[in-house]
Amino acid sequence: MFAKLKKKIAEEAATAPRSGVRIPRTISKESITSVGADSGDDFASDGSSSRDDLPAQLLRRNDQIRRLEAKLSDYAEQLRIMQKTKDKLEIALEKQQDSSIKKFQDQSETHQTSRAKMAEGMTLALEKKDEEWMEKMGVVEKEKAALSARVEEMMEQSLVLFQKRDDLDELEGFQQQELAKVKHMLLRKEEQLSQREKELQQKEAEAHSAKRGLSETGDKLKTLEQQYEESSSLNAELEIEREELLLLREEADKKISELEGKCQELQAVIRQISEDFQKSQDMVSSLEKSLYDLKTEHDALKLQQQKAAVTEEDKERVLMDLQKKVTSLERRLQGNLSQDEHLQELLQEKSSLEQSLEESRAELLVVRTNHADTVSSLEAQVSKMSCSITELQTLLRHKDESSRAYRERTDTQIANLEQQVLETSERLKSSEQQITEKEQHMEKLQGEWSAEKAFLDQQVCLLQQQSKEKSSRLEENITSLKAEKQSMQDRLADLEKQREEANSSLKQRTEELEQCTVELGSRQTVSTEIAKALEETRRQKEELQTQVGELTTSLQTSQQEVSTVSEKLSLREDDIKALQNEVQSRQASLVQLQEELEQQRAQLEQMEKDKDSQLMSLKEELLSQTQQLDGCQARISYLEVEVETLTEQLHSPAVCEEDQNGSVTVDDLDHIQKLNRELEQQLSDKNRTIKQLQQRLAELKRTLQKELKLKPEPEAEAKEKLPESRAEKTERVFLEPLPFSNLSPPTSKTLVTNTSDLNDSREINFEYLKHVVLKFMSSREAEAFQLIRAVSVLLNFTREEEDMLKQTLEYKMSWFGSKPSPKGAIRPSISGASTSWS
Amino acid sequence: MGGFFSSLFSGLFGTREMRILILGLDGAGKTTILYRLQVGEVVTTIPTIGFNVETVTYKNLKFQVWDLGGQTSIRPYWRCYYSNTDAVIYVVDSSDRDRMGISKSELVAMLEEEELKKAILVVFANKQDMDMAMTPTEVANSLGLPALKDRKWQIFKTSATKGTGLDEAMEWLVDSLKSRQ
Repeated sequence: MFAKLKKKIAEEAATAPRSGVRIPRTISKESITSVGADSGDDFASDGSSSRDDLPAQLLRRNDQIRRLEAKLSDYAEQLRIMQKTKDKLEIALEKQQDSSIKKFQDQSETHQTSRAKMAEGMTLALEKKDEEWMEKMGVVEKEKAALSARVEEMMEQSLVLFQKRDDLDELEGFQQQELAKVKHMLLRKEEQLSQREKELQQKEAEAHSAKRGLSETGDKLKTLEQQYEESSSLNAELEIEREELLLLREEADKKISELEGKCQELQAVIRQISEDFQKSQDMVSSLEKSLYDLKTEHDALKLQQQKAAVTEEDKERVLMDLQKKVTSLERRLQGNLSQDEHLQELLQEKSSLEQSLEESRAELLVVRTNHADTVSSLEAQVSKMSCSITELQTLLRHKDESSRAYRERTDTQIANLEQQVLETSERLKSSEQQITEKEQHMEKLQGEWSAEKAFLDQQVCLLQQQSKEKSSRLEENITSLKAEKQSMQDRLADLEKQREEANSSLKQRTEELEQCTVELGSRQTVSTEIAKALEETRRQKEELQTQVGELTTSLQTSQQEVSTVSEKLSLREDDIKALQNEVQSRQASLVQLQEELEQQRAQLEQMEKDKDSQLMSLKEELLSQTQQLDGCQARISYLEVEVETLTEQLHSPAVCEEDQNGSVTVDDLDHIQKLNRELEQQLSDKNRTIKQLQQRLAELKRTLQKELKLKPEPEAEAKEKLPESRAEKTERVFLEPLPFSNLSPPTSKTLVTNTSDLNDSREINFEYLKHVVLKFMSSREAEAFQLIRAVSVLLNFTREEEDMLKQTLEYKMSWFGSKPSPKGAIRPSISGASTSWS
Repeated sequence: MGGFFSSLFSGLFGTREMRILILGLDGAGKTTILYRLQVGEVVTTIPTIGFNVETVTYKNLKFQVWDLGGQTSIRPYWRCYYSNTDAVIYVVDSSDRDRMGISKSELVAMLEEEELKKAILVVFANKQDMDMAMTPTEVANSLGLPALKDRKWQIFKTSATKGTGLDEAMEWLVDSLKSRQ
């Protein structure tokens, strides 16, 4: 209801916070708000009281109107007060303006007069100072000219001085050069002298050496003579030795002859011994023969013995036969007992036979004895013979041994003798050789000695000649050297003279030099004086320059003063301008105040109009409400009529209907307002919730945006698109409806991507596929084996195809094994029941 | 056959190559970590479309390290690489608080896979050099790591660009892999 008023007040409040008159406005504001509050209270009371009669309301409205009128009167009073204050302010302003203008005029006049005075004074002072400075400058310039002239003179003098100095330096240089020459000549002469002396010394040394050579040769001669004597003595000794050796030879010859005699004797003895030996050997042979004979006899006897034994055996056999016959005959006899005769005969025969047997036994015994005798005799003979043989053999052995010993002895003796002979002959030979060698040596020595002697004689002659020559030469040399020495001494004298002359010239030169130095000193003093004068002039110049500088600085300071004065002047002018500006601004503010006043008046008028209109509207409302009331009353009456008619028809429900209808009509407005408030509250609540939801949505969008930004294109494009997308996002935030009935956390299942089903996502990321296939082809088998799964998923392989791929890779990885049959390649599975991967 | 030969190979040459996956959201620093581990230098990387695989030798153990691209579009292909994996290095951008929830859900989904039941989990709380980086305990709590059961896991604070924390993490991983054998 009071929206317009409130707005206006708000506008005023917005425009108001400035300087100016504030108090009345704030009062008005408070009053208005209080009025509003009152009305609100009224409404609340209305709401609470609900269906009361309208006249009370009307009364309240009238009260309000009255209050408003009172307030209006208050406003009018305030307005009057405002006008009064405004008039006062205007008067004060005019006064202020007048006073300020006057003040400004006075100030400007005084300022201008002071300024003119200052300017005049300054110009006068400046002119005076200028004149003074000009005079000073003229004087200074004159001084400067004079000083420059002096400086030039001094410069000329200094030049002359420098020239003189140069001349002096040259003279000194010449003197030094000449002195150096003279010294050089002297040195040379001295060197020559020393060289000559050295030569002389050398020659003397040579003479000495030649004398030494002579003495050495003499010594050599002496030694050679000694050697000769020694060699001759050696020769004599050698001859004596030779004679001795010859004597020895003769003795050796004699010994040899003796030894040969002995040898012949020994040979004779040997012959005798050999003859004896032969005899004994003959005896041995004869004895051996006899032995042999005896042995043969012994054998024969043994044969006879054997024969005898054989015959004995025969006879024994015969005996045995005869005994047998005897036995047989006895048996016959025993068998033929009757035949006595026979028996007798047989007995006879037996006896005879026994007799013969005995005889034969006797014979046998005899023979045996004989035989034994012979055997024994023979054995005795043999033993005798063997004894003799052994004796002979022993004899023979003795003889052999003796002969051998003798031979050995003779042989050793012979060998010794022969050795002695050989040794003696060797000795002889060696002695002869020695003799011949010694003779040869002697001859050689004699030859050498003679040759050496001749050579030494020659050498001696040569040396004597050489020494003579040398001495003559040396004498010549000495004479020449003496002559040279004399000449040198002469020269030395000359040189000394020259030296003296040179010294004298030197002294002269030195004197000259001293003079020159004295002159130089004087010149230098002059030059120092000149320099001093120059320095003085310089000082003066500097002083003048400092004076000039001081003057210039004073000029500058005066100029600065002038400038400061002018600045002050300008500042004053600025002040004046500022004051004028202030006056203008005051005037402008005055105008503004007037304008504000007018505005306030207009506002007041408007407020009055608004109030009037409000009043009018309130009155209209009142009217309408009264009309409504009238209508309602009419309706009530109508309804009462109806009720009555209805009560006539129905009895009980009519009353409550009456009441309800009546309340509805009365509380229509309140009810609407309540509804409105509730709706507004709901709206604000909703707005709050909307804001919260928007914030959440914004967060979610941000996250989504980040993911989207990273997903499809590299960073550059994303960066470009970022602002756009943000703009879009904000638009969406405001445009889209907010379907967040369920406030689930951001970890919704849509975000879990790594487990989402791959089968239905037909549109495979081509870039990803390309990368995986490329890696699959290029990587190691171990890595490729891991990639089979990814490739088969990406290319939608069937399980058979995937297994086939695995088998081929295993075959490739392993070192043996058979290649799997490529059934999948030939017969690609058309059945295509792509099994799920999960 | 392959198993037999691989076992034969391992018998012949002593050590089998350990297979390690480096996973994580895009821009977490997986590729930088991979090349930091391999050559010890910081390389300039571009977003990985696909994957990188390198052989890294650490303390006489050979690792076949697979760095899989973490962009949303190619995250579904991670599970093509899960088989025969010995360890998973899960890299988290510690300064990216907004996407920690996404990181958590991806991690949880990954750990539910049957093929990774025996894999060791190492979480790298990367980008610790950033000012707004979360601490490792914060990261672990926001990833729900303390709730994990039947899983050998450890979290390390790392900075791939500065090279800090990687050695400790690798040492732990090597020790736990050795102890598991």
